[in-house]
Amino acid sequence: MKTVSMGAPRSSTVKFRMPTRDNLVPIRVDVEVDGQRYRDAFTWNPRDPDTEIMSFAKRTAKDLKLPTSFVPQMFHSIQGQLADFRSYEGQDMQVKEKIVPLKIDLRVNNTVVRDQFLWDIGNLESDPEEFARTLCDDLNITDPEVGPAIAVSIREQLYEIASQSVSAMREAKMSKKRRAPEFASNSKAMNNAVDMFKYFGSKGSVIRKRKEWYLYAPVVDVISNEKTVVVAKDEAKL
Amino acid sequence: MATPPAPVPPATASTAPAPPPPQMPYKAPPFSQPPSTAGTVKAEIPPAAVSTAPPAAVAAAAAAGPATQDSPYIINVPSYSAWFSYGAVSDTERRLLPEFFEGEAGSRGPEAYTYYRDTLVRRFRARPARRLTLTEARRGLIGDVGSVRRVFDFLEEWGLINYGASAPGVKQGRDRREEAAAASQSSLPAGAAMSRKLCVGCSSVCGSAYFTCDKKNAFTFAYDQAEINICCRCYVRANYRPGLTPADFKKVEISEDAKSDWTDKETLHLLEAVLHYGENWKKVSEHVGSRSEKDCIARLIRLPFGEQFMGSKDQKLQFETDDDVADESRAEVSKRLRLTPLADASNPIMAQVAFLSAIVGSGVAAAAAQAAISAQSQVDMNDSLVDSSISSTKEEESPYTNGLSANDLLKEASANAQVQLEKEQKDIEQSLSDIVDVQMKEIQDKINRFEQKELLMERERQQLHHLRELLFIDQLAVVQHQSRPHPVIAENEEEKPKPVTITS
Repeated sequence: MKTVSMGAPRSSTVKFRMPTRDNLVPIRVDVEVDGQRYRDAFTWNPRDPDTEIMSFAKRTAKDLKLPTSFVPQMFHSIQGQLADFRSYEGQDMQVKEKIVPLKIDLRVNNTVVRDQFLWDIGNLESDPEEFARTLCDDLNITDPEVGPAIAVSIREQLYEIASQSVSAMREAKMSKKRRAPEFASNSKAMNNAVDMFKYFGSKGSVIRKRKEWYLYAPVVDVISNEKTVVVAKDEAKL
Repeated sequence: MATPPAPVPPATASTAPAPPPPQMPYKAPPFSQPPSTAGTVKAEIPPAAVSTAPPAAVAAAAAAGPATQDSPYIINVPSYSAWFSYGAVSDTERRLLPEFFEGEAGSRGPEAYTYYRDTLVRRFRARPARRLTLTEARRGLIGDVGSVRRVFDFLEEWGLINYGASAPGVKQGRDRREEAAAASQSSLPAGAAMSRKLCVGCSSVCGSAYFTCDKKNAFTFAYDQAEINICCRCYVRANYRPGLTPADFKKVEISEDAKSDWTDKETLHLLEAVLHYGENWKKVSEHVGSRSEKDCIARLIRLPFGEQFMGSKDQKLQFETDDDVADESRAEVSKRLRLTPLADASNPIMAQVAFLSAIVGSGVAAAAAQAAISAQSQVDMNDSLVDSSISSTKEEESPYTNGLSANDLLKEASANAQVQLEKEQKDIEQSLSDIVDVQMKEIQDKINRFEQKELLMERERQQLHHLRELLFIDQLAVVQHQSRPHPVIAENEEEKPKPVTITS
């Protein structure tokens, strides 16, 4: 089998954005008012005008029959996260082909999903939404709320990595190290990156070893209602 | 089946939530489908669509048989949404949600749109009696909430979602839909022409100015404009779909003149109507036609003698001040007014006087002027209007009396005027006496009725007296019986009524 030899990973510097096809921000809202708690996670398009945030907050409160005291807190939470995202936007971020493992470990209503997979954060055309859709279809997950949760989780991890890349670049610039940023950015996230050379080198193969299969197999559990209650209580304690 | 793409075809009616197999891309020519021949199909025509859809309205429900909204097998879809089909994007959607089709892929692309839309519709149709909320929907959809919200709102507006679903918000939803359907000129081909601009964003009447966007893309048709009008508030708040920027909008002023240009015809009608119906503004505005009651009143007040008209109606029986004006107005009404161009629209008083004098003719105008002069010389203060009408009609006289001897004309005119005046006075006296007669008759009738009532009351009183006496007798009898000793008192109490009734 002819082996493909890869050159040095090409890297480019782009303005900060989510390393996905759509520049969408994962938003997590956790508001508590008068003993009532509202937790939610969804994806937001930062190009939508801010007026949308208010109408979205009001509409959500109305749909979920929450008292209107929730609305200002929701609004501020969402706006704050969007502002954080936007604060990164002017800065440079390094983009190169780098495979990182992403993890999914969440519970939505009665479904528990645990998964681990590799993701190329240099691929600016990647689509967490499509991944989530496919995953749910393939694993026959009936609850429609699982998909968005998976997508948001992936996005959050990607966002984390991207923002780290931005801050790493900034550090590199500030510390005035003229060396190639790749060496400087050996932070924790990058250490997890998988070295593709190992696989594409002469002795490697892209096919995963059988003994590693269990690590990367998704696990979907549908738990009973009683257990859900227990698990929820545990989570609330955290 | 020639129906529009049936969401739940009869074949699969037994398995309610099962979605139909993806159909051929179905391009339904809007509003022109013949009713289905297969069985009884329920025609769902919401009020908004009735005004805009052609009479051969489309039958849009799925299965045959009596349609009940609660049954999960029958989904009702309004006729203006007949273009919908799973898996295919119709031109309506391309037109109204262009941000999904402008070449972007991913979260804003056509596949995403189709996915959102089909999922939303399927979810709703699984439980059509229940209203699908946006939060519930977006929690089950993988995508950014902004796009989901837009698709959701679009589907709700077009009745593909939450149509007839039971929820407190349903009435508002329908109203909003009707409003939106009526107000969005771009949605329906036969959109009613609005004289006032309704803002597409907040569905309120635009005030003095509004912003319009003429953004057309390849998918707009000749008979449709993707024209969006928003009021100033929405423009400032950026309350338009995100695909647009503020630069796309142009400001358009609505001037008061453009809105309410009272033509002569309308003014004529207004005056007529006021004289006929007096203060019944409803009838007045009907008579005038396309003016609301408020407009009529406002216009009337703005007329220089508007107040006088109001006054003349009230003081019809008194003939001190408004003689000439009343004459003129009645003359004009009786003559079935002809259209005349106003001499000079800028000066309203002049315009009105020129108008009236043109109507009644030169002779009568001159006569009126003469009479007014003579009246004025005697009675000073009352005729403010007639004053002005004198001076202006005098000026107006000259163009009409050119070439004729002023004196002769005046004499003739004054004689005519006198005769007419006397006739009018006689008529008025006659009608006065008639009115008085009628009033007297009324009073007479009333008196008669009262007398009858008195008689009746008298009779009743006598009856009451009689009854009272009877009662007194009964009481006496009872007391007497009570005083006599009896062995069993209970029996007495039972027996007592008997002897009492016999005596009465």
